[in-house]
Amino acid sequence: MKLRRATIHSYWLMFVATVITVAIVTSSQLITDRIGLLLDRQASELLAADMVVISGREFDAEYREVAKQHGLRVSSSVSMRTAIFIDDNPRLVELKAVDNAYPLRGRLERALGVTGERTYASGIPASGEVWVGSKLAELVGQSFSLGEASFDARWLLTFEPDRGGAIFNLAPRVLMNLEDLPATGLVVPGSRVRHRMMFAGELSDINRFKIWLTINLKAGEEIQDLENARPEMRRALERTRKFFALAIVLTLVIAMAAIAITARYTANREAPKVAMLRAFGISQRSLFRYYLRQLGGLWVAATIAGIALGWVTQFPLQWALDGWFGKSLPQVYSLKPFLSATLVGFLALAGFSLPYLVNATATPPMQVLRTAVNRRSWLRGLLISGSAIVAVFVVLVLLMQSSMLAVATLALVLVCAFVLPLVLGWMIRLLLFSSQRRFWLRQYLLSRLQAVSRGAIYVMSGFSLVLIAILLIAVVKDELLGSWHEQLPQDIPNYFLINIRSDDIDAVGAYMQQHRIESSKPYALARARLTQINSVDIGAIDFVDPRAEHLVKHTFNMTHARELPDDNEIVAGEWLDADSPRAQVSVEQGMAERLELEIGDQLTLTVGSKTLRAPVTSIRSVLWENFKPNFYLITNPELLADMPQTGLMSAYIEDRSRLDLKRLLKRFPSITLLDISEIMARVRAIVDKASVALQFFFIFALVSAMIVLLAAIQTGRQEREIESSLLRALSAHTSQLYRVHVLEFTLMGGLIGFFSASFATLAGWVISVYFFNIEFHFSLAVWAYGMLSSCLVLTIAGTLVSRRVYNVSPMKILRS
Amino acid sequence: MAEDNLCIALNQVGKFVDTPDGKLDILNNISLDVKYQEAVVIKGASGSGKTTLLGLMAGLDQASSGDVFLFGENLARRNEEQRASVRAGRVGFVFQSFHLVQGANALQNVMLPLELSGIDNAPQLAIESLRQVGLEKKVNTLVEHLSGGEQQRVAIARAFAIKPQVLFADEPTGNLDAGTGRQIADLMFHLRDQSGTTLVLVTHESELLERGDRQILIESGRLL
Ligand SMILES: Nc1ncnc2c1ncn2[C@@H]1O[C@H](COP(=O)(O)OP(=O)(O)O)[C@@H](O)[C@H]1O
Ligand SMILES: [Mg+2]
Repeated sequence: MKLRRATIHSYWLMFVATVITVAIVTSSQLITDRIGLLLDRQASELLAADMVVISGREFDAEYREVAKQHGLRVSSSVSMRTAIFIDDNPRLVELKAVDNAYPLRGRLERALGVTGERTYASGIPASGEVWVGSKLAELVGQSFSLGEASFDARWLLTFEPDRGGAIFNLAPRVLMNLEDLPATGLVVPGSRVRHRMMFAGELSDINRFKIWLTINLKAGEEIQDLENARPEMRRALERTRKFFALAIVLTLVIAMAAIAITARYTANREAPKVAMLRAFGISQRSLFRYYLRQLGGLWVAATIAGIALGWVTQFPLQWALDGWFGKSLPQVYSLKPFLSATLVGFLALAGFSLPYLVNATATPPMQVLRTAVNRRSWLRGLLISGSAIVAVFVVLVLLMQSSMLAVATLALVLVCAFVLPLVLGWMIRLLLFSSQRRFWLRQYLLSRLQAVSRGAIYVMSGFSLVLIAILLIAVVKDELLGSWHEQLPQDIPNYFLINIRSDDIDAVGAYMQQHRIESSKPYALARARLTQINSVDIGAIDFVDPRAEHLVKHTFNMTHARELPDDNEIVAGEWLDADSPRAQVSVEQGMAERLELEIGDQLTLTVGSKTLRAPVTSIRSVLWENFKPNFYLITNPELLADMPQTGLMSAYIEDRSRLDLKRLLKRFPSITLLDISEIMARVRAIVDKASVALQFFFIFALVSAMIVLLAAIQTGRQEREIESSLLRALSAHTSQLYRVHVLEFTLMGGLIGFFSASFATLAGWVISVYFFNIEFHFSLAVWAYGMLSSCLVLTIAGTLVSRRVYNVSPMKILRS
Repeated sequence: MAEDNLCIALNQVGKFVDTPDGKLDILNNISLDVKYQEAVVIKGASGSGKTTLLGLMAGLDQASSGDVFLFGENLARRNEEQRASVRAGRVGFVFQSFHLVQGANALQNVMLPLELSGIDNAPQLAIESLRQVGLEKKVNTLVEHLSGGEQQRVAIARAFAIKPQVLFADEPTGNLDAGTGRQIADLMFHLRDQSGTTLVLVTHESELLERGDRQILIESGRLL
């Protein structure tokens, strides 16, 4: 039988384990950089840029110049509401004039008519033409006048990247060339227009420019970027990145466990050779050099192969993502992934393999004459575990910088690695002595126990570690995806109705009910500006957190409420006493952190021209990504009663209700609609993309697991053969032995599966709750999968091992 | 000193180990000399202490009492590394269980100690040595594909390749059938006669006994 002869050369296993480690680092660095860029880009498309500055007036020409000096691309647009006349009937439109650079991120899509094919536009409307929104479809191919100029409506505008989240009325879009705008004469002093200047470029350039811009910003100008414009998107990105970091750490742990186990196996196989060579008078020093050379060669070969493998994995990934999203992953040209992969390969070998081989070079030469017990030395044990820990931490610092999540995960795994052998040893003992066995069986099992304590237990620990890591990735991934889906049920609101006049609120609510449109209850919305904390002017306070700046400079959403909104949780203080006339305010957790607010701090706020003061009575956590109206500040109803405010409401509007909606807007013309389905779709897309990329790491993890298993099958083969011959001499039936042996593996598999699932659940809970701030659901499926897969794999391994042992010809045993 | 002219000299050597049942005397008060180019055969029943004695003579293990001289160097005063340097390039071994490196071919097995000792023309020496044991046709064969007798020949080639001053053999025919064993014994003595290597051979088979220049009998850790 082929397999029996396949005493797979131990170096090969170590080689493959190292190749995989290097490949993981290479591809994770290449892929995360590229995915990160892709995700950023995609999010940026919601702004059609990386950063936008908005104002009611024209911008200083200096902005454009300085941005260009920072290496950024710049685009300007002007938008306004105006009327066009169709057959002498005025029609309100949302006019937007853009320059040639627009959009900086994302693409425009157009069609020749409602039923026409949608294609990407390669530019913007040419001078003299406009593209119109679908509600003006009948205009395509005609001319109409805009102010004092006349335009041809050439195309139907079917998609505009930054409209998804932008506030829009049902007034249809008219997109035109910025050069034509003066000719229309629509922009005159006093007309209400919005000027936008958009910027895009490298993140570092954007950040530098943002600092400059913040300092030079004029009154009435506002910066928008992902950070402040799309908190839900930012959170999605953050979590996705965190999850990536987690998955990569765990995959690396698996690969390194494989290196450690194969190195141990290799060292054990080298021991007789070392003893022989030392008997021949070869010094430990030259043996050490010999192994150093071997490892060096292995390192070079594995690095080249690993980098090649890691590099190649980009392509299927790219293919998978392109297929889904029709846009290429951005290219990243950097040597860093390759350098760090090389370094990690080196560290892994130096940390895990070298100590074992150093240990092997100390094999006493007397062992050539008699199997002498190689005395275990604490010092050597310390050398091995110490260097492993150092290696892992250096790798971590190298790859993850200061990710708390990665450090915590690793700490958990390390604890596990130390506890595992003890737990397993205990489990085996329990297993062996739990049942009544016949004498020969007992003898046999006792000898097995010794074999286990010699080496199998480390392999079992390694296998268990691998299983834990795989289960942990699966658990956290499920929780994360689950948390999204839970928050995004089918009937999630897809529109926000804002700017509802206070007087209309009740009527709007009644209208919604009457037409059976699912909607939230109306919230009051006031735009508040923070002016003082504890009577100190906010401008005079230095905040540690740079993100405080935005909160200081801008207005933010405030409402009043009687009950704590859904998905909000009090983290400090007590929820408002709504019936008390006493001024109270509840602050969102992130805002409280940034502004260093504590319970009892007195806030002074201005809403329009009015001022109010209230103490902070509670701090709340808010689930920003639940797509429900969320607020930084919530006051008791009394406090906001006389403040200028509008109504806000979310609604789920199906296609069939659109007509009702149209009528509603006719009746209450102040209302503005905010379409959030686009944002949701993009958030979903981000999570989906991350999952696809993760499949690739999963493949690496599985290959590493296979290697561990191979090492497991090889380990202790000789001992088992000797045992089996011994037992045959005791005239035990081979088939009996065979069954016991396989059963033992199966039981071990069950125990390992149970332990691994328990630990993975525990770690998954810690990680979900503390690092992802999501709820954790205990699931029996983890145990089921863990035990099932572990039983199955170990039974197969056990069968293979047993076949090898019990099919061995008695002659061979006699000879050895 | 008298020891300078001797290849090996043991002076009232004892070996004890601590076992759970108390101190165990394996060897007691052993004194013996082996001259250069001499062929000494040590014989005794299984468990009489032959292997232990061989280990002490070769400096693989340390005596509990007395002095062991190898090439005039007192091994008792040296640690394991220093003892290895005394052996380096001057001592060869043939073992009962061959101790070949699995997964390597015959040539690589013979070359390994040569290369690690820093000898330049290791391949030529190894091939020459394999030719002497009649394995020139199996140079590139993996050792696990060789028969037991052939494996032991590789081990003998490995031992003689370094042109040792002394060859230690612990039951070299113990794992072989009688016929093959005889061939191996013939080969070893033939090579020794050619090279003038000192030979210390341990066996419990009477057949090998007469071949030596001198026989030493051991029983329960004492020389007879
Ligand atoms: N390290 C040790 N611990 C305990 N007993 C040992 C040790 N080494 C050898 N012995 C015992 O010493 C005796 C002699 O062993 P050995 O030299 O191998 O004998 P031989 O090679 O003649 O068969 C045996 O009874 C053996 O069990
Ligand atoms: Mg013996």
